[in-house]
Amino acid sequence: MNLPLRKELRSPLRYADYSLGAAAILLSAIGVGLNYSSTWRGLEFNGQDPLTYVKRQIIFVALGIAVMIAATFLDYRLYRDFANQAYLLVMLALVGVLFFGVERNGARAWYELPGLTFQIQPAEFAKVAVVIALAAFVANHDGHLRLVTLSNAYLMLAVPLGLIYLQPDLGTMLVFVAIGMGVLLVSGAQLKHIFVTSLLGVIVVVGMFNSDNLGGPALLRQTQEQRLTAFLDPGFDVQGASYNINQSQIAIGAGGISGQGWLQGTQTNLNLVPEQETDFIFTALGEEFGFIGVSVLLLLYAYMLARIWFITRASNDLFGTFACVGALSMFTFQIFQNVGMTMGIMPITGIPLPFLSHGGSSTVVAFGLVGLVINISARKHLT
Amino acid sequence: MNDQLNRRLAFLGVLIVGLFAALFARAWYLQVLNSEELADQAFSNHVEIVVTQPTRGRILDRHGVVLADNIRTGVVTVNQSRYAPGQVDYVLEELSELIDIPVEVLSSRLLDQQTHPLAAKVVATGLDEYGLLRVSEQSLPGVEAKWAMSRVYPQNEIGAHVIGYVGAMSQGQEDRLLKKDYLPSERVGKSGIEQIFEADLHGYPGRTELEVDSTGRVHRIVNQTNPKPGSDVYLTIDADLQAATESYLRQGLIAARKTVSEDSGFFYPSIGGAAVVMDLRNGDVLAMASHPTYDPNWLVGGITTLEYQSVFENPYAPGALNNRAVQGLYSPGSVFKLVTALAGLEARLISPRAAYYDVGYFKIPDKYGCTGRCTFYNADKAPLGVVDLSSAITRSSDAYFYKVAHDLYWIRGEEQWAIQDMAQLLGFGNQTGIQLPFEKSGRVGDGQIKEALFEANPDAYNPYGESVQWLPGDNINTGIGQGFVSVTPIQLANAYAAFANGGTLFSPNIVESVVSRTEAQFGSSVIDFEPRIQRLAEFPEGSGIVREGLHGVSSKSRRGTAWRAFEGYDAAGYAIAGKTGTAQAEGRNPVLQRKKEDSAVFVAWAPRHDPRYVVAVVMEEAGFGGEAAAPVARRIFEALRAYEQRWPDPQVAFIAPRPECPEIPEALRGYEAFTSYVPEGCPWGIQVPRANSPGDVDGDGIPDLEERDQ
Repeated sequence: MNLPLRKELRSPLRYADYSLGAAAILLSAIGVGLNYSSTWRGLEFNGQDPLTYVKRQIIFVALGIAVMIAATFLDYRLYRDFANQAYLLVMLALVGVLFFGVERNGARAWYELPGLTFQIQPAEFAKVAVVIALAAFVANHDGHLRLVTLSNAYLMLAVPLGLIYLQPDLGTMLVFVAIGMGVLLVSGAQLKHIFVTSLLGVIVVVGMFNSDNLGGPALLRQTQEQRLTAFLDPGFDVQGASYNINQSQIAIGAGGISGQGWLQGTQTNLNLVPEQETDFIFTALGEEFGFIGVSVLLLLYAYMLARIWFITRASNDLFGTFACVGALSMFTFQIFQNVGMTMGIMPITGIPLPFLSHGGSSTVVAFGLVGLVINISARKHLT
Repeated sequence: MNDQLNRRLAFLGVLIVGLFAALFARAWYLQVLNSEELADQAFSNHVEIVVTQPTRGRILDRHGVVLADNIRTGVVTVNQSRYAPGQVDYVLEELSELIDIPVEVLSSRLLDQQTHPLAAKVVATGLDEYGLLRVSEQSLPGVEAKWAMSRVYPQNEIGAHVIGYVGAMSQGQEDRLLKKDYLPSERVGKSGIEQIFEADLHGYPGRTELEVDSTGRVHRIVNQTNPKPGSDVYLTIDADLQAATESYLRQGLIAARKTVSEDSGFFYPSIGGAAVVMDLRNGDVLAMASHPTYDPNWLVGGITTLEYQSVFENPYAPGALNNRAVQGLYSPGSVFKLVTALAGLEARLISPRAAYYDVGYFKIPDKYGCTGRCTFYNADKAPLGVVDLSSAITRSSDAYFYKVAHDLYWIRGEEQWAIQDMAQLLGFGNQTGIQLPFEKSGRVGDGQIKEALFEANPDAYNPYGESVQWLPGDNINTGIGQGFVSVTPIQLANAYAAFANGGTLFSPNIVESVVSRTEAQFGSSVIDFEPRIQRLAEFPEGSGIVREGLHGVSSKSRRGTAWRAFEGYDAAGYAIAGKTGTAQAEGRNPVLQRKKEDSAVFVAWAPRHDPRYVVAVVMEEAGFGGEAAAPVARRIFEALRAYEQRWPDPQVAFIAPRPECPEIPEALRGYEAFTSYVPEGCPWGIQVPRANSPGDVDGDGIPDLEERDQ
């Protein structure tokens, strides 16, 4: 007869939430399929291998799964001790990218390593570092944030925000804001403090938009401003700023209820939606699999977020709780912002859809965060 | 603290649920509620439709001579709407050096009236490959050098009024035709056969639906229909005879300008005229000339305002675009006496052989209580002496027919309108139904028409406040083809044809058949115009005497009115019978500002006893019918005789109706689909004569002389 072991001594693997990992792998499998459907036609037309993007994405996913497993096995409480070091390292990387990075689409946000066919986006890794560092900071203060400590937390956010603003990459900045807001909201900070500081933030943002009108320097580029506001009036300048919004909505709407079938979407095949293998990959799903496919995907995401939410509640450790909240906020914001953008209810910002969008850094980071959450779920009974 | 954390966590959960609900709602809105509209947009987003212009059908004469064709020609267009002020001068200078056309000519072509002011104007045509390359190499702004299919009329002005011409669409046509996949730059038929048979000639444009990506690259062809070329239209016209007719009409008009009018003492202005040659056995129009004329090629490539004005708004040659043969309304003059004579016979008012003493005028007897004009004079007040019906026609006694018309007026009952009824029977007052646009119906005056005219426009028709009643004088004027009678030349020819052939009134055909050139039914007729009989008329007893009178018109011994014109005419087997007419035209000549001169009219058929062809000639303000019009008709008859020898009569010698080898247009040669239509050993594009050589009239390939031996 097996004697019942004490909870603390049981293997963490017994408590690990495997369904979360399964959901992540399932999502990335859908992602690989959509990567193919949104790139094969153009590659084939140019005489290239239609599987180019798919092969690369499969490598990213494999890498991501490895990272996820690794992140699961190492006790997450160790991360707390290295939170500040990781934060500093990533900040250095963000500073370095401004000088040594390569420029793409007007943003200097990527490291190009010799011998690699892909580039590394330090801002993606900064998300993990900020989640951990912020969670550690809040946990170190026992979840009680007074005005001074709240300001310190804001400062922790402000550094990466400022560095990414210099790249510039507005979408990733907003992700950091979302992470910060989520963690600080759930933490013990007083609501009035959050409210007042948020108001300040709004004033700053509005000021940024209108800085040129107020006589100051133009802090947002013309194109950034146009793309952000185009969703309010899609009829404006069809071939210009609102082209993306219109085309992606047409693609999604053309899918109807059951979709046009895999590889059959004309908007997707003919590259009428720009950036469709990365930021606008949701349009390929909407067009080819219709409302049913969209529902399945959103439910899968919802399941994943629900699992993270329950793990957050179940965790006995403040660091674990806030790390989960950070991951939850990040995923929620990225999903809502990305999907909402393709359907025209959010402004256009370059944020990848977790697990689906083509891209190494974002896929690995998403898997890494899921690994962290599984790690927390496996050890929620401890402490 | 734990409560607070849980509360805030719950709030976060609710927030997430709310955000997902929003995403679902939006997806439902786009994919279920608005799906159809967005799917339409997706379709038009990626499918581009290219319309290919079909080859326009040709127009050929009855023996296959091409009268309207298409050629590939290099054109240079200039789109001046794209220029800044002054830039156009620089571009034209450059262009002028390249294609060796003076700048003034180029800039005058930019003022072309036929196309939309903002459209690209054709400034040069007829370039070869090298010319096109020279121009396109320079890539001047707004200048395009390209191949284009252009309508060409190889016979130039021959048959211009019949064929018509093509030109840019008018506003009304544009609205209608663009829906039928016409291209905005396409030229459409504007008159004549080109207009009437536009639908057949145009064919069906091809449509190609291409799938195009965001950068405009073509991915695949979604749907493709090839253009169907337009059908060929075969006319009943013979090109040579047409050319001869036009030439003789023009020469006759020029000759008339050298004669002096006895009425006014001036030269006859002789501004225009028409001539119609008809086969009176089946109503085929063999030639139809109208003067002044024009070259339809002028109107295809574009024409400057100055050129247009000088040709088509020239007051000395008014109405060059009008086909006077079907659109011109003329008083028939004495030619109309045929109708009066037949009406008198029909009413049993004329005793054909009864003598009548022509004293040079006819006076309405006092017992009828004449009002207004009571004495009606012969043309030159000349007394002709004793005439009967036959010689009254031959010598054109007005007084005789004044009396007939006057007497008919006083017959109460249905025969009071005998002249009008007989005119209707012979087709006057109605369109003949020939396949040409804008045909006028003319009119044969009676009480109602007079009343309607007088009341509608009293200033013009009734300046002196005369009675609106139909008076004896009106009937008398009508009896000699004046007054309220107006006819078209084609009506005249048709009526005389009906009388000559024994009473069959045809609707004249100017189109023989419409022959398809589509892949499926190449060479087969889409429409065949069989002889169309309007009605069969029965002529009253005594019409032989009328015939006899008409026979005499070219006879010197019988003092026919046209004897001088037919002096020396080789009448052997080709004698004519006809009637001259000299019609007073009403009103003033707008250019010369004096009273209009008389119009010369002549209608005749030949051969006299075996009628085959009828010729009608009308010449405006050209003098006497016997002096101006009859010589023209004589030369046309001589041309007809030559024509009959060249193309032996189909009723005398049987002719295979279709050529053995279909003619394949050059553009379609080499297509497999067409080779099956061409019998073995048949060379492409060789014209096989429709009729046969004089040595082999039955067309079986064996010379007749040898056949006789067998």
